[in-house]
Amino acid sequence: MKGFFMDKQRDFVLRTIEERNVKFVRLWFTDVAGTLKSVAIAPAEIEGAFAEGIGFDGSAIEGLSRSYEADMLAQPDPSTFQILPWRGEIEPTARMFCDITTPDGIPAAADPRNVLRRALDKAASMGFSFYIHPEIEFYLLKSSQIGPEGPVPVDKAGYFDNVPGGTANDFRRRAVNMLEQLGISVEFSHHEGGPGQNEIDLRYADALTMADNIMTFRTVIKEVAIEQGVYATFMPKPFTEHPGSGMHTHMSLFEGDTNAFYDPSGEYHMSKTAKSFMAGILRHAPEITAVTNQFVNSYKRLWGGGEAPSFVCWGHNNRSALIRVPLYKPNKGNSARIEYRAIDSAANPYLSYALLLSAGLKGIENNYELPTETEDNVWDLSDSERRAMGIQALPQSLDHAIRLLEESELAAEVLGEQVFSYVLANKRKEWSEYRSQVTPFELKTNLEVL
Amino acid sequence: MSTARSSGSLASLARYGFTDLDGTIAKLDELVSLVGDSGRSALASLGKSANPDQALDFLIRISRENKSAVKKLLSKEESALRLCRLLGASSALAEFVSLNPEVLKEFEKELKLLDREGYVQLFTKALADGSANSQAQVTTLRKAYRTELTKIAIFDLSASIPMSVQPRVSLALADIATAALEGGLIIARRELFFTSEFGLFTQDEVMNTRLAVIGMGKGGAGELNYISDVDVIFVAESADPELENTRMLEIATKLATRMMRAMDSTNQEPALWQVDANLRPEGKAGALVRTLDSHSSYYSRWAENWEFQALLKARPMAGDKELGDAYFEAMNPLVWQSTQRDNFVESVQKMRERVSGNIPADEIDRQIKLGPGGLRDIEFTVQLLQLVHGRTDETVRAADTLTAIDELSNGGYIGRSEAAEFSAHYKFLRVLEHRIQMSKMRRTHLMPLEEDAQRVIARSINLDWTFEELSEMWAEVKLQVRALHQKIFYRPLLAAVSKAGGGLELSNEQASDRLLAIGYLNPAGALQHITALTSGLSRRAQIQKQLLPVLLQWFSEGTDPDSALLAFRRLSENLGESHWYLRMLRDSSGAAERLSVALSNSRLATALLELIPEGAAWFEDPDQLTPATLEDLTEQSLSLASRHEDLDDFAKAVRHIRRRETLRLALGSVVGELNIGGVSQGLSDLTEWYLTTIAKAIQVALAKEIGQDVDFGIVAMGRFGGQELGFGSDADVMFVYRNEQPELSEQSQKLAEKVISELHRLVKDPQLEFEIDMDLRPEGKNGSVARSVDSYRAYYSRWGDIWENQALLRARMIYGSEELVGEFNEVIDQYRYPTELTSKSIIEIRRIKARIETERLPQGADPKRHLKLGRGSLSDIEWLVQLLQLKHGNEFPSIRTPKTLDALDALVESGLMEQHDARVLAEAWTLTSRVRSSGVLWSNKVSDVLSLDRRQLEGMARILEYPRGSASALEEDYLAHTRRSRQVFERLFFS
Repeated sequence: MKGFFMDKQRDFVLRTIEERNVKFVRLWFTDVAGTLKSVAIAPAEIEGAFAEGIGFDGSAIEGLSRSYEADMLAQPDPSTFQILPWRGEIEPTARMFCDITTPDGIPAAADPRNVLRRALDKAASMGFSFYIHPEIEFYLLKSSQIGPEGPVPVDKAGYFDNVPGGTANDFRRRAVNMLEQLGISVEFSHHEGGPGQNEIDLRYADALTMADNIMTFRTVIKEVAIEQGVYATFMPKPFTEHPGSGMHTHMSLFEGDTNAFYDPSGEYHMSKTAKSFMAGILRHAPEITAVTNQFVNSYKRLWGGGEAPSFVCWGHNNRSALIRVPLYKPNKGNSARIEYRAIDSAANPYLSYALLLSAGLKGIENNYELPTETEDNVWDLSDSERRAMGIQALPQSLDHAIRLLEESELAAEVLGEQVFSYVLANKRKEWSEYRSQVTPFELKTNLEVL
Repeated sequence: MSTARSSGSLASLARYGFTDLDGTIAKLDELVSLVGDSGRSALASLGKSANPDQALDFLIRISRENKSAVKKLLSKEESALRLCRLLGASSALAEFVSLNPEVLKEFEKELKLLDREGYVQLFTKALADGSANSQAQVTTLRKAYRTELTKIAIFDLSASIPMSVQPRVSLALADIATAALEGGLIIARRELFFTSEFGLFTQDEVMNTRLAVIGMGKGGAGELNYISDVDVIFVAESADPELENTRMLEIATKLATRMMRAMDSTNQEPALWQVDANLRPEGKAGALVRTLDSHSSYYSRWAENWEFQALLKARPMAGDKELGDAYFEAMNPLVWQSTQRDNFVESVQKMRERVSGNIPADEIDRQIKLGPGGLRDIEFTVQLLQLVHGRTDETVRAADTLTAIDELSNGGYIGRSEAAEFSAHYKFLRVLEHRIQMSKMRRTHLMPLEEDAQRVIARSINLDWTFEELSEMWAEVKLQVRALHQKIFYRPLLAAVSKAGGGLELSNEQASDRLLAIGYLNPAGALQHITALTSGLSRRAQIQKQLLPVLLQWFSEGTDPDSALLAFRRLSENLGESHWYLRMLRDSSGAAERLSVALSNSRLATALLELIPEGAAWFEDPDQLTPATLEDLTEQSLSLASRHEDLDDFAKAVRHIRRRETLRLALGSVVGELNIGGVSQGLSDLTEWYLTTIAKAIQVALAKEIGQDVDFGIVAMGRFGGQELGFGSDADVMFVYRNEQPELSEQSQKLAEKVISELHRLVKDPQLEFEIDMDLRPEGKNGSVARSVDSYRAYYSRWGDIWENQALLRARMIYGSEELVGEFNEVIDQYRYPTELTSKSIIEIRRIKARIETERLPQGADPKRHLKLGRGSLSDIEWLVQLLQLKHGNEFPSIRTPKTLDALDALVESGLMEQHDARVLAEAWTLTSRVRSSGVLWSNKVSDVLSLDRRQLEGMARILEYPRGSASALEEDYLAHTRRSRQVFERLFFS
């Protein structure tokens, strides 16, 4: 954020705090694992926070810093200032996202926002800006308590079902309303395939704003759920028998004000840039999956069948492909985009988008060749058919994904060496904890037989 | 009687300035035959042109077709002068006139320049007949432009002192460029209406596309040259909500490209100049036209600091005026905020580097714009001052250089006389540039090489000047411009503290602003040091007053200007009265600059310099910074020995040499050419010499004192053995002696121990620490400090652990008789290069390594950042190499070397390691060694951990020759290299 704009926006923030009688300001930032962190400060401290940042103990935050470099500063970004709607008018509370810096003002290597900024800078140096439009799925449950049959969804409806008087309808109306109040435009919302499963699509925005929006979105959804006496979860795959919660992400690159993916004469109106970008993502997809699908549970979704995008291929309207090239109205060149379908609702959006963008740019820089389109449902093919067609699979488990990530020079470069090694260490830990678990599946299949 | 003869002799022709005297007579005859008597009187006017020969040639050529017009012009003195001056000064414009004789009438009357609006109306009118043929319109526009260009040139050439009209001329040149761009826009719009694009856009859509052309650089500032690229940025908006931005931008982009084409495409009338839009957001890669919003959001998010500075001269030039103004209103404030940004200091340095950037060596002397003392130097100084003081003072924000100088002077930021000087130099250089460009209308900033051309340039400025005189003046201006930067930017800082009056007085706050802008973190402290260094009437204070402005600049180019200034103050208090020191500073600018680099980039060098101030003398001669070889050192110690009878005295002198040579190595690696190989070699040689010289002296003294001697030896171990020492490394050694007579074994042992204890006593140096580390000896800390060869043999055969054998791989005898060396090597070779390495031993080595990784690392240390024991750092690489040496050393003698890098090469050559793996390891090893060494140089502290402190990383990066602002880059490089090296290590070591 540059001085002049910063000043104008800062003044706006200070004025609004006065006018709206804001009592607390929450400073938000995201740790490497993708969890939202919050520090509340009183309005009196805001001016100082803009000037010098707010010091905090970084060692308390996952992956942010080591214990010996504990001092960190949160620098609020005034352009993200919003009054939080769910706190009511009695004690108005606002929030701002922060960049994390070291005490001497250098962006913290381990701040995911900074990782994404760096990737966007790289894109800018090639003349591109990066736009995102996510479709976020989640489940509404009766509570966070796990019943005898597992989690209990709020309804039994399915795709696009309108549940009369149902919780989900009210819920979505209230959530969309709140998001709009926070300046986040909603494109679309509907009931999804699983019982209690919902989807809300956010209107496209540049990647940094969108990553902030996704973090806000998760908080809003959780807050509305509490308000309505239910529980919302972004867990990638809470039910064995129902679809998982993905975060299909539509991506496009712009050169100035024009869409660089659009070429009226290209196949599916795709420009060469779009093809190379896709080729880049396809080539690097397996090695970045440990980030876009970061939990043990993520792989239960990726390999749970149905329409899960488990195989590295692309198609036009192919609902089993990893990348889909959606239809759009012919004279709407600016809506040309591609949809990446592997990423799930529990991913860290900053890191995931930084990696997807960089993988795509690599394709553009090195002129990667786009493989041929896959028209079949890849799940229906046999292993040897897929082998014959040169279709690779995404990693089968978190362990597998970690091993691919370890070898990834791309990921090391994009995340930075420090975040890279933190992510690896963190994921190895999760895997080793998981590996030692005795699961209900084993008990069910082994206990009585053996 | 022919014309010429009637006008005088050949000599008088020469006086008029002709060079082709014989030819001239015939030409004058021809002229008279064409235009009659007025041709005769033309001689006086020709004589007042820069190049009478050329002027005459063109005059004849034009007269042939236009007798009466020329006759009329020549008949009056004023018009004759105007014509001849132009034809003499510019062959390009003379061509234009001869091809377009209708221009001749412009010479009839005295010329008045128009204002911008006037030119715009003129060109618009010329295009008004609305021909649908855009090629014809382009021709019309370009002719109109060149006609006005010709008139400006005549105006320029008619001035008795061209420097006085230069600003007016430059403004007019910018104004006709503006008018040409406006004309180009008219043509572009018509093309979209009428030509092949017809139907693609409606007329309304084109009309509703508002496009503004923003001038950047000299065009924007109204100080253009005769010919150069015109830098622009485009901004567009839709005037109709129905017209969507996407479509509007498509139209605007077409308008912009067509407008550019009207300036530079092929046409019967040649191109005017290039329109350069590369300063736009995202440069060449970015969209040509953006909306105002899109510009704003780019600058609010992505722009680099220098891009803000480029906006300093951005002004609306052509197209939609309201939109242009809106752009200016939105963008200009950003310029003044940019000094508040984190990297401002860095970007100023980069600006500076661009000024002195890459100019081919053979062009430096001929450069008017770039190069020391050129136009860019003036512009840099002025812009820097504007940026520093313009933030708080709105009265110093002018776009053009001359107005800016006036404003800065009025605001009290530049002294009156300096400002006047600066302006005068600027105008002089600009006139020089203009005359050179005008001659052939070529875009150049180089003084031509040909003598004829040079003479013409000189005459075109002043008829009485020879080129030699011009050169002298020019050289003087260059010299003064170079000095003016310091005079204007830095010298007032001195005045600010002395309050000595004498013209300009900066307030403390203004002085602090300047110091902060160039990288001093503690301006108050800096001002104190400046006070201390310059107060008083001593000779030292006088010289320092002269010198400080440039030193302040040099310090600011290093990593730590504040402590450099403090160190300089201390050094000067130490040495200030010695003659050679003051003389060196005063007379040798190279020396002073090297001194500044050392003080601002290396605390080790600074500390050593305070210890050995006379080392400052080496700065005068860079050859002095070459490390002493072992032979040089030995020679010195021999001569010392002859002068110092007493052992303690001798050792004292040797210690002094060690400190001095360490300083030499430190300075060599900070300001000299020394690389990491040279440093480790130098330090290893120095250490070797230090130990052996003192050991020898001890033995001599003992022999003299008690009449006994022993065949005593020193074994260098570890990194010392491998000649890989860094600054602050301990010297790993073992001691050995030879038992020539078994019955005297007890006495030999005692003697050896005596030598060792004396050695410990005498090598100790509180001023520059020296540690002997004997932990690698048999039985480690509990073992005997000295052993006989036999004792080593017995120990290794009975007790030797595999890790001890491994340590022997780097054993290197540096002292001892030939017999001793031979016997000892024979003993250890069978252990370090065993005929077979058992799998039990291999497992044992791997286990020890694994254990070290968990146990030896200090509590809480991050293994990724530990330079010695960390992930993929020194010990990983060295253990891998040593494991392979143990395994294969017996079979492949070529891999037997204590040096890690040599061993890696040999392993590849012997087919024991893949080339690629060896390269990864060698790169990581070298980088780690360099990082360690730079850490000590920068901080004067030995640390085995890659610092987390940004300033320290930045300092290290600078020593390692990274560009400014590379703290994170160094960190990333280190972590990436060691990560890859660890991958290789794990693959090769554990399998």
